[in-house]
Amino acid sequence: MNTMGIIFANIYDSSLGELTNKRTMASLPYGGRYRQIDFSLSNMTNSGIRHIGIITKYNYQSLMNHIGSGQEWDLDLEEGGLEFLTPYATDHNASYRGKLEALNSAMSFLKIAKEEYVVLVDSGVLCNIDFRELVANHIASGADVTVCVKEGICNGVKQLDMAVQADENNRVTDIAVDYCAGEKYLASMGIFVISRKLLMEKVTEAVAHNRYRFERDLVMYGFAETGMKVNTYRFNGVALFNESTAEYFHNNFALLDAKIRRDLFKKPNQTIYTKVRNELPTYYGEESEIDDCMVADGCVLEGKATHSILFRGVKLGKAASVKDSILMSDVSIGEGAELEYVILDKDVSVGAGIKLRGTYEHPLVLKRGESV
Amino acid sequence: MNFQKKHCVAMLLAGGQGSRLMVLTENTAKPAVPFGGKYRIIDFPLSNCVNSGIDTVGILTQYQPLELNEYIGNGQPWRLNRSHGGVQVLPPYARSKKSEWYKGTANAIYQNIPFIERYDPDNVLILSGDHIYKMDYAAMLKYHEQQEADCTIAVRTVPIQEASRFGIMNTNEDGSIYEFEEKPKKPKSTNASMGIYIFKWSVLREYLIADEEDPSSENDFGKNVIPALLNSGHRMFAYKFQGYWKDVGTISSLWEANMDLLGTSPEFDLSMEKGGRIYARNLALPSSFIAKSSKNINSLIAEGCGIYGTVIHSVISAGCTVEEGALVEDSVIMPNVFIEAGAIIRHAIIGEDCHICRGAVIGGSFAPDEEKKISVVGKAKTIAANETVKPGEIY
Repeated sequence: MNTMGIIFANIYDSSLGELTNKRTMASLPYGGRYRQIDFSLSNMTNSGIRHIGIITKYNYQSLMNHIGSGQEWDLDLEEGGLEFLTPYATDHNASYRGKLEALNSAMSFLKIAKEEYVVLVDSGVLCNIDFRELVANHIASGADVTVCVKEGICNGVKQLDMAVQADENNRVTDIAVDYCAGEKYLASMGIFVISRKLLMEKVTEAVAHNRYRFERDLVMYGFAETGMKVNTYRFNGVALFNESTAEYFHNNFALLDAKIRRDLFKKPNQTIYTKVRNELPTYYGEESEIDDCMVADGCVLEGKATHSILFRGVKLGKAASVKDSILMSDVSIGEGAELEYVILDKDVSVGAGIKLRGTYEHPLVLKRGESV
Repeated sequence: MNFQKKHCVAMLLAGGQGSRLMVLTENTAKPAVPFGGKYRIIDFPLSNCVNSGIDTVGILTQYQPLELNEYIGNGQPWRLNRSHGGVQVLPPYARSKKSEWYKGTANAIYQNIPFIERYDPDNVLILSGDHIYKMDYAAMLKYHEQQEADCTIAVRTVPIQEASRFGIMNTNEDGSIYEFEEKPKKPKSTNASMGIYIFKWSVLREYLIADEEDPSSENDFGKNVIPALLNSGHRMFAYKFQGYWKDVGTISSLWEANMDLLGTSPEFDLSMEKGGRIYARNLALPSSFIAKSSKNINSLIAEGCGIYGTVIHSVISAGCTVEEGALVEDSVIMPNVFIEAGAIIRHAIIGEDCHICRGAVIGGSFAPDEEKKISVVGKAKTIAANETVKPGEIY
């Protein structure tokens, strides 16, 4: 495909608090065995996008560790493939303020590319999407920029980076940024298509005028001030916006719904890939009681878990009880411990008999490696 | 091209048809038969090689090689995608003068002398692709070199009453072998050969060439090469292996080996802490969904499954579905099997990609001391609704 990809690894990090304290939004674990970026990378490789830049700002060690050579996504290629665009790998702007400054730092990457179009993706929205259709739509419409949107997200309460209104031809008629948009708005999924030449031109121009935010200073400014033609592409599949701790919490449980699982993981030729860990199959003990859970491999389960997400290598002791919780990789729960509405980051260990409880809207989060 | 010298090259005999596994190997080479929920038999010797620091492995294939070749690929899952060495699949091939299939285990190695020579190895490790075990070949190699042996054969102790079923190595006190008896009627010792040999390459090379020139030879390691070495007084030692080892060449042993993985302290522990990790080619599957209606007791369940029914003392491989009201007990379910509501499967092995329809009944129950007749459903078969596969029946 005549298209390259850019993935922004950390854009909303601050809103997820402790979960993204030591990692990028892109490397946030999700759904038992994935990192959020697995969706973007798999979508790109499944759509024939073979040249991808990952823009990272800080905390990118876990991300690099996860992606390695990109072999799991068939992106360890001689030509194209994956490139990490880290701040210090570029000539200036070690700490950029927004996506436009980041893109400006990555200008040489854009310049030497041969592809005509660029798909830009944030790491906070999870979906299984065919970018071929999106790009074809962009080309056919003759738009300067196409923004991928989802209906039914804007509710007047959730603040969106960007929300738009569009006419029956999908032509954008109004753009709002950082706005708790009402129901008549369509939510931007943080996925954009633009031609590479136009992107380079607009980035250079914006940065030269001290404008650094992509949505506000390129799309909205271009639309309002320079007559740029902006179109929408309405995505009909499942799109999970993980932009706050509560959303992240609830969207993990969304996987307990068979329809959502099917949409994300069972589309033909659109497999979501992730890093392999070579774990054993999970062992269910004599007294285990696992109800309504997603369970990864490598777990040893002797206790009880209900409506929860168990990542790889979780150890659940006898008579322990876990409800409505997310247990990340290698978490261990002692005998008789009771957990409700908690998110335990990787390697957390909970001693025997300990009780931990959060609420549905405010889950209790324990940091990576903590012991209770 | 430049080839780095290797201290030890492994040659893995994976050409066996595995006819005693019947329908399970109809279209699959035995080493590619699924095991333990997410593995294939060949993962065990391959992982042992990697965990023992052996990075050059030739895999000799012959029977139904397609699936096996595809599975091994470039060897990346076992970190055997190396610039120097790595994994090579070695099928028999046509030559200018003559071309032939691998006539026997020794002939298979003989035909690949040029492959081995590239690495100019001091030693060659011969392995077979139908055993489930974890073993540190490096320790065996060290023993082999300490004894300055020409050939070292791994042995394990078997009960004397069973010894007449195996190739038995009779040894002196220092571990040197003075006699080899294939399936002796009156066994003198309990050292059963495990079919794992380390040879000094210069010695093996000479004997492979001599064996090939002997028209009466069956070109087999156990029958010809080992006795020939022994008869001419070479230094041969038995290396005692302690630990789990199972030849999974029959339906009942394959079933038993799977069952040995179950329990809180299983007979055969796959975990990394117990003798290294076993690597496998992983499928890109999501986590398993375990429904409220399910019950899973003393079982292993791999990734990508949907479990709505009851699973007791069983191994469920990747990508399987067990619908509500279905029962799977004392069974091995291979990858991508769909089990519909109300089906009952007991003491059975269900091959890959099977579909078991509503209300089908497969296998049966046995008293604890009774012989367990294992029912088998071959790869990609469909068992129609309410159909029965009797205990011990091979479908």
